[in-house]
Amino acid sequence: MTAAFQLDGATCRFGDLAAVDGVSLSIEQGERVAFIGPSGSGKTTLLRLLNTMRSPDEGSVSVFGDDVSGQGVADLRRLRSKIATIPQHLGLVPNLTAIQNVVLGRGGRRSTLRSIRDLLMTSRSDSVAIHAILDRVGIEEKLYNRVSELSGGQQQRVAIARALFQQPEALLADEPVSSVDPARARDTVRLLTELSAEDGFTLCVSLHHIELAREFFPRLVGLRSGKVVFDDAPGALEESQLSELYDLNEEEMMKDA
Amino acid sequence: MSAMSGRFGKKRWVVAGLGFALLVCAWALGLTPAGLVPPDAGHWYRAGEFFSAALRPAFDYQDPNVPADADPIWLKGLKGLLATLRYAVGAMSLAVPAALVLGFFGSSAWWPAPRGRATGFLLRTVYLGCRFVMSFARSIHELIWALLFLSAMGISPMAGMVALAIPFAGTLGKVFSELVDEETREAAELFRAIGHRPVQLFFVGIFPSALPNLITYAFYRFECAVRSSAVLGFVGIETIGLYIELSHEEFYYREVWTYLYLLLALIVIVDRWGAAIRQRLNHSTLAWRP
Repeated sequence: MTAAFQLDGATCRFGDLAAVDGVSLSIEQGERVAFIGPSGSGKTTLLRLLNTMRSPDEGSVSVFGDDVSGQGVADLRRLRSKIATIPQHLGLVPNLTAIQNVVLGRGGRRSTLRSIRDLLMTSRSDSVAIHAILDRVGIEEKLYNRVSELSGGQQQRVAIARALFQQPEALLADEPVSSVDPARARDTVRLLTELSAEDGFTLCVSLHHIELAREFFPRLVGLRSGKVVFDDAPGALEESQLSELYDLNEEEMMKDA
Repeated sequence: MSAMSGRFGKKRWVVAGLGFALLVCAWALGLTPAGLVPPDAGHWYRAGEFFSAALRPAFDYQDPNVPADADPIWLKGLKGLLATLRYAVGAMSLAVPAALVLGFFGSSAWWPAPRGRATGFLLRTVYLGCRFVMSFARSIHELIWALLFLSAMGISPMAGMVALAIPFAGTLGKVFSELVDEETREAAELFRAIGHRPVQLFFVGIFPSALPNLITYAFYRFECAVRSSAVLGFVGIETIGLYIELSHEEFYYREVWTYLYLLLALIVIVDRWGAAIRQRLNHSTLAWRP
């Protein structure tokens, strides 16, 4: 089986800074991986490499067996329609309802006119499917509420529902717990991993919350200054490696100051 | 700290500069407070007449030559208001669709992100073309458009409506394009990441979130259109402005004030209506519920 994501020496630069620096990584289909590391370690850029919003300046990235760099616009779109993304700030349209936001999740496989129709009048079969999905993520009663009227936690559920309606082969979530309280954070991570297990999609999550990563993910990838410093099961992760991961950040902060 | 005091210093310079500019303009134009004082007894009399008429608007014609079977003044005023409103509504229903088209092609929010050289050139040409058309349309005031159209085509309702619609389409289009271009791109970025086409994500991710602002602004412009439509009366289009102008020429100031109060009432109603619509926009969505 081809890997969901295959990175070989992938490097991404912002000016002189390498946000992702020579990363080689293979993520199998259906795998659940947490990227951990301090802020600024390159987690977000790495996720943008995986969802093909960036192509590497050096090295290569393959998604479901296709090298991203060689893709035309239409092929790239087809590839992207298979990857759901939940960005840190969710990317919801605030003055549309939950159902309208969710139905747009499948827009990558639909025409422009169809998407506009989806917004104005969601089809019965889509409504039924979205109803079921919102039920799964626990906000079924919010179907017709404007997203701007929902709480932060509920908005996050809408974003997750949109990702599910996309029927993705992989789901990427960037710091899904940064905007919710600790109790909700645990629920959110549990929900994501359960959905991944039930639906069989690959799950990649960036987390600065190390305990949650250890509890719910069979594989942790530690990043520091854009480089992979460990890539293993949480049991194999030693305290010394963890402190190394975060110590350097303090040094860097000293350097910045 | 030093940066802050620098900023405050800059602000103070701007305020001082504006004050200086005011003085220079006043001097160049020969402005004195005496300009607001009537120069002779005749003008003092007129001024007194005009302002005292504000307190007792006419309920019947001051003009002795009005035929007996003419509409009473309030009915004439209401008919004038209705005509004023018709021009404003007509002009806006021409201007808004034109502005939506111009605003779309005069914005860059829907451009594909990696684009070929030819596509980029075409898009920029259309963009600049639309921006030029909008600038030209709104750089000429509706009153001037009206004078030009009336001299070319004679006094016709259509000429008045088009004269009003042209500069309004220019202003609306410019603001529409800027509203969609300034809309936050978080949702649009997400839609791009899951495979939406650029035009598609414009219509589902950018336009819907800009829409309440577009509608609010269109309502504000509708209010402006009502006032401008009244002004068109001064060049002969039959709106309430024409009645104001005719009564004014004959020094029937109490009639003038009757028409002014009617116009004020219309503007207030339009304003309240717009506010009610804005209120509802904050709690509604685009969808028809099944």
